[in-house]
Amino acid sequence: MARRKRAIESPADPRKWVANRREVLRSAGVGIGGMALASLLARDGWARLANVPHHRPKAKSVIFLFMAGGPSQLDLFEDKPALRKHHGQLPPRSYLDGKRFAFLKGTETLLGSAQKFRRYGECGQSLCHLLPHHRKIVDEVTWLHAMKTDVFNHGPAKIFVNTGSAQPGRPSMGAWLTYGLGSEADDLPGFVVLQSGPRGPRGGSALWSSGFLPTTYQGVPFRYGPEPILDLKSPPGIDRQRQRDFVETVGALNREHLAVVKDPEIRTRIAAYEMAFRMQRSAPELMDLSGETQETLRLYGATPGKPSFANNCLLARRLVERGVRFVQIYHTNWDHHGGPTENLEKHLPAICREVDQPSAALVMDLKRRGLLDETIVIWGGEFGRTPMGEVRKTTGRDHHIDAYSMWVAGGGFRRGVIHGRTDELGLAGVEDAKHVHDLQATILHLMGIDHRRLTFRFQGRDYRLTDIGGEVIEEIVA
Amino acid sequence: MTTPVPPTTGTRLRRRSSRLFALATWDRYCIWAVLMAAQLVGLASGNPPTALDFARDIRPILSDKCFRCHGPDEASREADLRLDDRESALSNEGREPAIVPGQPEASLLMARVTSSDPDERMPPPDSGLTLSPEEVARLERWIAAGAPYEKHWAFRPIRRPEVPVVRSSWARNPVDRFIEARLQAVGLEASPPAPRRVLARRLWLDLLGVAPRPDEIEAFLADRHPDAYERLVDRLLASPYFGERWGRHWLDQARYADTNGYTVDSPRSIWPYRDWVIAAINADMPFDQFTVEQLAGDLLPHPTRDQLVATGFHRNTLVNQEGGVDREQFRVESIVDRVNTTGAVWLGLTVGCGQCHSHKFDPLTQKEYYQLFAFFNHSEDANSVAPTLALPTPEQQRALAELDRRIAEAKKLLKSATEANKPESSPGGEKSKSNSRDVEKVKTKLKEWEGERKRLVAQIPTTMVMRERGKRREDFVMVRGDFLRRGEPVRPDVPSFLPPLEAQNEPPNRLDLARWLVRPDHPLTARVFVNRVWMHLMGAGLVETENDFGYQGSPPSHPELLDYLASEFIARGWSLKQLTRLIVCSATYRQSSVWRDDVARVDPRNRLWARQSRHRVEAEIVRDLALSASGLLSRQVGGPSVYPPQPKGVYAFTQRKAQWPTSQGEARYRRGIYVFFMRSAPYPQLTTFDVPRMNAACTRRTISNTPLQALTLSNNAVFLEAARALGSQLAAIDGTDAERLEQAWLRCLGRSPTEREQKILLEYYRRQMELLQTAPEERAAIAEGKTASAQQAAWILVARVLLNLDEFITRE
Repeated sequence: MARRKRAIESPADPRKWVANRREVLRSAGVGIGGMALASLLARDGWARLANVPHHRPKAKSVIFLFMAGGPSQLDLFEDKPALRKHHGQLPPRSYLDGKRFAFLKGTETLLGSAQKFRRYGECGQSLCHLLPHHRKIVDEVTWLHAMKTDVFNHGPAKIFVNTGSAQPGRPSMGAWLTYGLGSEADDLPGFVVLQSGPRGPRGGSALWSSGFLPTTYQGVPFRYGPEPILDLKSPPGIDRQRQRDFVETVGALNREHLAVVKDPEIRTRIAAYEMAFRMQRSAPELMDLSGETQETLRLYGATPGKPSFANNCLLARRLVERGVRFVQIYHTNWDHHGGPTENLEKHLPAICREVDQPSAALVMDLKRRGLLDETIVIWGGEFGRTPMGEVRKTTGRDHHIDAYSMWVAGGGFRRGVIHGRTDELGLAGVEDAKHVHDLQATILHLMGIDHRRLTFRFQGRDYRLTDIGGEVIEEIVA
Repeated sequence: MTTPVPPTTGTRLRRRSSRLFALATWDRYCIWAVLMAAQLVGLASGNPPTALDFARDIRPILSDKCFRCHGPDEASREADLRLDDRESALSNEGREPAIVPGQPEASLLMARVTSSDPDERMPPPDSGLTLSPEEVARLERWIAAGAPYEKHWAFRPIRRPEVPVVRSSWARNPVDRFIEARLQAVGLEASPPAPRRVLARRLWLDLLGVAPRPDEIEAFLADRHPDAYERLVDRLLASPYFGERWGRHWLDQARYADTNGYTVDSPRSIWPYRDWVIAAINADMPFDQFTVEQLAGDLLPHPTRDQLVATGFHRNTLVNQEGGVDREQFRVESIVDRVNTTGAVWLGLTVGCGQCHSHKFDPLTQKEYYQLFAFFNHSEDANSVAPTLALPTPEQQRALAELDRRIAEAKKLLKSATEANKPESSPGGEKSKSNSRDVEKVKTKLKEWEGERKRLVAQIPTTMVMRERGKRREDFVMVRGDFLRRGEPVRPDVPSFLPPLEAQNEPPNRLDLARWLVRPDHPLTARVFVNRVWMHLMGAGLVETENDFGYQGSPPSHPELLDYLASEFIARGWSLKQLTRLIVCSATYRQSSVWRDDVARVDPRNRLWARQSRHRVEAEIVRDLALSASGLLSRQVGGPSVYPPQPKGVYAFTQRKAQWPTSQGEARYRRGIYVFFMRSAPYPQLTTFDVPRMNAACTRRTISNTPLQALTLSNNAVFLEAARALGSQLAAIDGTDAERLEQAWLRCLGRSPTEREQKILLEYYRRQMELLQTAPEERAAIAEGKTASAQQAAWILVARVLLNLDEFITRE
């Protein structure tokens, strides 16, 4: 038994991992096996060796509530009386020239929102009546109302928000951050992806890919239930004790071979098996919400055992509590074009009921636990929706990339600030218009990273999250 | 002389160019004195300067620190100065010359790089770039020596070098002499050859990607011929597994996958292209022909079916089937990918930069990029799966012809019957009645045949191919890479820093481009190819940046060896098998891969190859090893992709709830190369072991080492199935436990266990067996059979341990 304790380190002291890694590096001579050593469990980001963080970070982790499909800012946050006034009219000609849309033909008319709006909080942010819980956090968050992006189809646009490029193949923000900063989780992956809603997000694994970075940094999708990670469970007939004996025997034999061939990579392999063993216990424990108080469950509207956005928000808090660097929750479907399955009349209220309470609860719960200051929460989709309607039997709106809303909270963002303004119809930003790359630069900035300096050389070029753009939005940084 | 502009006014660019002229002579003198002193110190410390080599010593400095603003890209060029071009650097037109050959003290470049004034200093402090005193001294020596420029090494013709004369009994072939000459220069000795068992497993893994059977190893050990090793190599090169193993390397570059990509990511049929690659490599098709058929098989005179299938290479680009997409936008994306892939795969260059601006480091202009683009701009496909080619078997073809004949006949009959039935030509009612009965009969038959034809056609495999469009599109520069912003018109051509295109077609087409790439005097194609073959066999390329042979890439560690291999490759008819044979028969390849502290000190990255590299095998080979060691592996080569078991829940995260029709029977045990590859949710075991995403060409895979890999190997159903098969075989061996264990090691690792290893595993076996004696349910679960004995279940657990060893998935 004593031998066993030595072989499988109990949920380890994070410093030990770093030390372990340094020891590996020292005995190997730094740089040996390049990428292979870089792979050490993502516990210790590779770039940490190259002066990352670049400055004192304000935040330690990120939770991105990804509203897949593109929520309608004009029916949620942006009250536009002029839109109602000109309802049914064609938008100004000058606006449409040179603009491209996914589905609009150019004959669609302006659509005033059918929702009721009121202003809330000290900042006076307007909210539609479908978001009653958001009223509690209006003064906690920074409201961004003139966001813009480059691409208007779902897949490429989602890939763009995540990787800074519309083409699949580049690392996503979570991968960049774990690459740059490592993770503080000792027995969970550093970048976790959760999903709820009727189907997965368009774009698939490209959205949480590590691109050309080592796969160690890719997002690990957690499925709902006691086996969130593929192949997490030991095979039938193999209990924890038997698995322990297995891991120890594999480790002992690997050590034998290490003594002969002396390749430090074998040490990494031994460590990986030990961490996998710990993960087998910690991941199901993470997923088990039964230990949360009734009050907390009610706050989120979560029901243990029933997959939902609410449960995922609660899981996100549990993940950052355990040191996970980047959590991303995809919730489908916000793609309200109008039509029988995705319209503003029926499906917008339905998805608001799913999303409103847990989003607000997450911010409040993080705050009361003292975690909000070090955790960034991002709420938004890949683009917004047009002031022009798609009117069929039911109504909807097309994809809009020139002006849409998102909100961000915690982790060094200012509280209760409204940033960015659009014209009276919501066609374009007229004040503080910000690009996706600007938001990415700002998030990296709060995590202690200069977005221009966190780069990776691939095919002869230094790539970065913000491609060739991005300016930190200083006005919203506390 | 211009008056200095105060730093607070004027644009950055104007400030810089005016600053260029503003340095006082006195300053220059002072700097000069400092510099000379630094030089003297250098001399005093006993480091006499060696002869400067422009490519090795100077260009990297200029490229890293200067070209960003004073390089080939005209859009970002400052002060109208380019240092990549000697003429511009020496020019005194409108300014002082940056370089005065032989006179560093008169050269503005030296003044600027040594200035202590932050407004003067180059590179500018805010660029984050600095020159070390040593680099400054090097530049000074270079200018003093006349500032000779030289063409970048990779753009110079391949010259067959003299093989170094090395006094040694180690070298087995010329490769070794190049390696040994360098090792001797740094005082390192090569490693001894690896034990024969290790060598055998190495060859099996490198050439075939499967585990050798114990009897195959024994046969090699028993072969006492002096050329036993070479004979083994020849045998393995002739195996059909070789095409699968090396075809996979090529398919990474071809970004081959079984779905269309992006969000909809529906299945496509292009596996016949994959099979073409395997067959071509097995047949050792010369690489020049291999190139031409893939890039332009459709443009060859009277192309064969195989030559058309080969053009699938560039049909592996993505197709966006999402609603509301702009077809032209995604067509352009696919052409961009074809240009970039061609650049990466054949030229080893990062041409992709040219899409938006002239290359900042390499001499490729934006216009030249769109000249390359123009070769690919005229194919029929436009964000579409079409055109495709049907590939009936001879029987299917015959059946189809027969059906077509019948259908045509039936139609003809019906037509004439209709005419015969027309009132004016049919006076008698009797005849008409019988006629109409016949007509009905024929109609029924026709329907039947048409249905049959439809079913037959659905069974015939198709593959995506390249075809030129009837009407040419317009070719023009896209301003900032935006397909909506037309710039200057262009015509197909190749970059001017490479040999000229000798086109046989007007306007030049893909066939001209393909033939240009494989001209024997092309400086890049052969170098790039042999470097990648070396990389696969030796752990790293002679040029470490295997995808960048440009100014920013790393120079070759052994330039002569690279050129030797490239010229041999061409001389031996562009034969991959001959090249592979040359490398694997060298003493360099046969060295032990055991870690050496002395090597790590002198050559920490093992770029001089004083030992072999030791590395984990690729994702597919991890699978193939488990299946072959357990005897489950199917030997079938080629055919549609298969669906081996994968964990539940993989598609919880995809847009489409995709189907995974898990294969039954032999198809479950096909090699990893045949696993259906869905771009948006690839087979998880492959992803976990670093399979590339197949969205763009991949010329080198990363090798990671993670807990998720441990979970896959220890818990995944496929590996468990392999452990069950192997364990059951072990349990059935008639012999002692020690003998069974010996067999287990031989099958998995190709060697016998050491005494200590034997003891550890035997103890594990006994411990588990004891526990399982009293646990019938667990026993049954482990062996997946109610009647399993404790012994049987325990051997399965032993097999599971072996399949999880680091050594098992490592090529030593």
